[in-house]
Amino acid sequence: MRSIWAVATNTIKQALRMKMAAAFIVLLLVLLPVIGFTATGDGTIKGRLQTFVSYGLSLTSLLLCLLTVIASVYSLTSDIQQRQIYTVITKPIRRFQLLLGKLLGVILLDVALLVLFAAIIYAITLYIPKFAGATGEDIAQLNNEFFTARAGLTPAEADVTQDVLNMYKELEKGGQLDQVFPDLSRQEIIDQLTTQKKLEKRAAAVGQDLLWEFHNVRPLDPNESLFIRFKYDVSINPPDSQVYSQWLVGDYRQVKYASKPETRIYSFERKDPIRTFREIQAPADAVAQDGYLAVGFLNVPLNNTVVIFPLEDGLEVLYKADTFTANFARAVLLILLRLIFLACLGTFAASFLSFPVAILLCLVFFATASFSGFVIESFDFLGGNMSSVYSYTLKPIISILPQFDKVNPARSLVPGRLLSWSLVGRTAGLMVCIKAVLLLLLGLLIFSYREIAKIIV
Amino acid sequence: MDYAIETFHLTKIFSDWWGRVRVYAVDDLNLQIRYNEVFGLLGPNGSGKTTTLKLLLGLLHPTKGRSLVLGGDGADPKINARIGFLPEESYLYRYLNARETLDFYGRLFGLPAKVRKMRIEALLDMVGLTAVANRPVGTYSKGMARRIGLAQALINDPDLLILDEPTTGLDPIGTRQIKDLILKLAQRGKTILLCSHLLADVEDVCDRISILYGGKVQAQGQVKDLLQQTDKRQIITDAITDSAVEKIKQIIEAEHAECVVSSPMERLETFFIKTVTAAQEQAQPTSGAVSTTRLGDFLTGEPAKESILDKLVSAPMSGQAAPKPPANPPTTSWRTVETSPVQPDEQLLRKLTEPVKPSPSDAAADRKVKTQEVEHKPPEEQEIKKSILDQLTGGTSAGHTDKQQPDKSASGEGANA
Repeated sequence: MRSIWAVATNTIKQALRMKMAAAFIVLLLVLLPVIGFTATGDGTIKGRLQTFVSYGLSLTSLLLCLLTVIASVYSLTSDIQQRQIYTVITKPIRRFQLLLGKLLGVILLDVALLVLFAAIIYAITLYIPKFAGATGEDIAQLNNEFFTARAGLTPAEADVTQDVLNMYKELEKGGQLDQVFPDLSRQEIIDQLTTQKKLEKRAAAVGQDLLWEFHNVRPLDPNESLFIRFKYDVSINPPDSQVYSQWLVGDYRQVKYASKPETRIYSFERKDPIRTFREIQAPADAVAQDGYLAVGFLNVPLNNTVVIFPLEDGLEVLYKADTFTANFARAVLLILLRLIFLACLGTFAASFLSFPVAILLCLVFFATASFSGFVIESFDFLGGNMSSVYSYTLKPIISILPQFDKVNPARSLVPGRLLSWSLVGRTAGLMVCIKAVLLLLLGLLIFSYREIAKIIV
Repeated sequence: MDYAIETFHLTKIFSDWWGRVRVYAVDDLNLQIRYNEVFGLLGPNGSGKTTTLKLLLGLLHPTKGRSLVLGGDGADPKINARIGFLPEESYLYRYLNARETLDFYGRLFGLPAKVRKMRIEALLDMVGLTAVANRPVGTYSKGMARRIGLAQALINDPDLLILDEPTTGLDPIGTRQIKDLILKLAQRGKTILLCSHLLADVEDVCDRISILYGGKVQAQGQVKDLLQQTDKRQIITDAITDSAVEKIKQIIEAEHAECVVSSPMERLETFFIKTVTAAQEQAQPTSGAVSTTRLGDFLTGEPAKESILDKLVSAPMSGQAAPKPPANPPTTSWRTVETSPVQPDEQLLRKLTEPVKPSPSDAAADRKVKTQEVEHKPPEEQEIKKSILDQLTGGTSAGHTDKQQPDKSASGEGANA
């Protein structure tokens, strides 16, 4: 353990004194405040904060990722290349200890730098509203929409499989399949029918209502607000593109079972534009003790159209589930997990490759991991034979890599969304405990059995 | 288990990417190095010396055969804890300073902080780098890097010291110091495996040698046995008169033998050390600003060396030697101790060798008495000088005359093979 620690501190000294880390540190120290005071976003204070947090974290993450890859690869390959390893490995230290020491050094360096830069970003973020002269109203809005960690619940999708099958059989029996869906395979017809049925469940004709029930709604503070975020689609465009509606938010079971009211039910009469996201702000005490909440929508007779809530993002209940600070800390933790993975990757690559090759390998992995979510999705849009070729070759390979873009912390912080512990936990489990550790073990194995000395006769 | 190092048919074949044999770097090598022996591995460039060391230490895997180091595997940390290794060049972390470098290696051995600190200071003192110990080793000259490399190999007070070309890049005085150090360590019961192609180094310090060529042992044995020309005799005298020489010649002719009469040459090494020391003596008062590192290189190492050994090995000795400060003081310390400013070299030498005195039983010692006389030292100091010379100059000069030919023949053999 002592020797691991000796190697770790030496690795940190190396990164700092060889000016590797210095370049990145100076760059960040200059860029972060610059972004902080020049970013304007959409001109509002909120936009400004969003831009800063998004760019600041992404930049920090990117630069630290590069530093991690370079430091972890350089530390070992330079020892081998410049042969300091001859004097180190012949001391009472096992090879795996040397490798773990290097890894530990890089990770400790990452932790220190990440904490430093995260603190800077956090401080600037808190300071921006004051600097920009935010009014009380601005601050209230920021507290609701930015300095928060809102959890979002979407209604469970209706199970329409049976309905669809019945409908398909009926059409088949009537011999109408070819008329209604010419030139389509069975699967494609079923997909279309499913979409159609699902939309039906989320559509309300004039005078009709829709009811969604949510469980496990846990607002941090019942005195705060919760938000119903929605978007309308319509069958016939109203003349002014507005939809009139009545909304009810509260514990529907009190009405259903006519029990004694314990929480209030709030009612809202509104007029909202179509195809735009809108939010209804309701007091959070509408949520029942057991976390139950119902949301009702009535298509009032003033309208002359069917109102549809789109499948993907038609309706969502948002509530403050945690503080901004906690959310920010988890976002930083996500970045750290990413760095740990890269440190393991770098160590693995350095265990058997020379510096340039190892760096190249790591950067390719890093780039692929940064886009892998997008790449994998795009495979699904390929049709026919190409699709099967890819899905049996490239897709599994890319799926082995972690998907950095799927766990992008800025994506949660910008809209003030909750970054849940479970996401952090899952990322830690999959990316670090499984993928990174496997890479590391492989690296240790290779390094323990390879010949250290260069071949010189 | 009677051997510190033993190899059994050790073979290393370097092959190309396709597995085709390219080179037999080490070929069926059977070495047996006893405990408490200074063993020299000689050979021209590319004869497999360094490869052998790497195989012993587990830096390379043997193609065939195996080796035992201190009765175990050379890659085993338990064994490594008892080995000091100096690679063919000092590969150091350029960004660490000398003290940090030694501290790092000390920590790899798991030495407690106190012991580490003590040993580091002693070692820095010994290699004469105390004055520059806070400079990054990347800025060191080759010789200074070599000294740090040596200090690094000694930090664990190893039982077995493996030195690969220990004197490359060192000035003659540094070389002398290392050779003395090797002898002293050997006296303390250490085993030393020395690998070199600088024959003078090997000759001065090794008990046994092995000459490698093409990865194979070409010759092996005691240095004395290998080099002594039993069919020749050498007589060294004071400057006697020509008539006396004639008489001797007549006696020799009566034996039907030939003889050559000349004045023996001083060894260049001895001459160099004498000259430099004298220069230092004179230059000191005038230009005190003479670069301290240079001073450190040459001189501070000498008195300090005793202190290292002392500290590392025997407590009482260190008491005397340790107080001497390294950089500038060395000169002053000689002056105070020495009486005759005319021959500073001897004083220096005496200092270096003093601790060795008690054991003049070495085979080398006997030979050297004669050379010493050749150098015309004042009679009062003779006894002291004797021991000094035994260590420093005698061994070399005694062998000197004999050697020229055997060396050639040995290397010639190697080349032929």
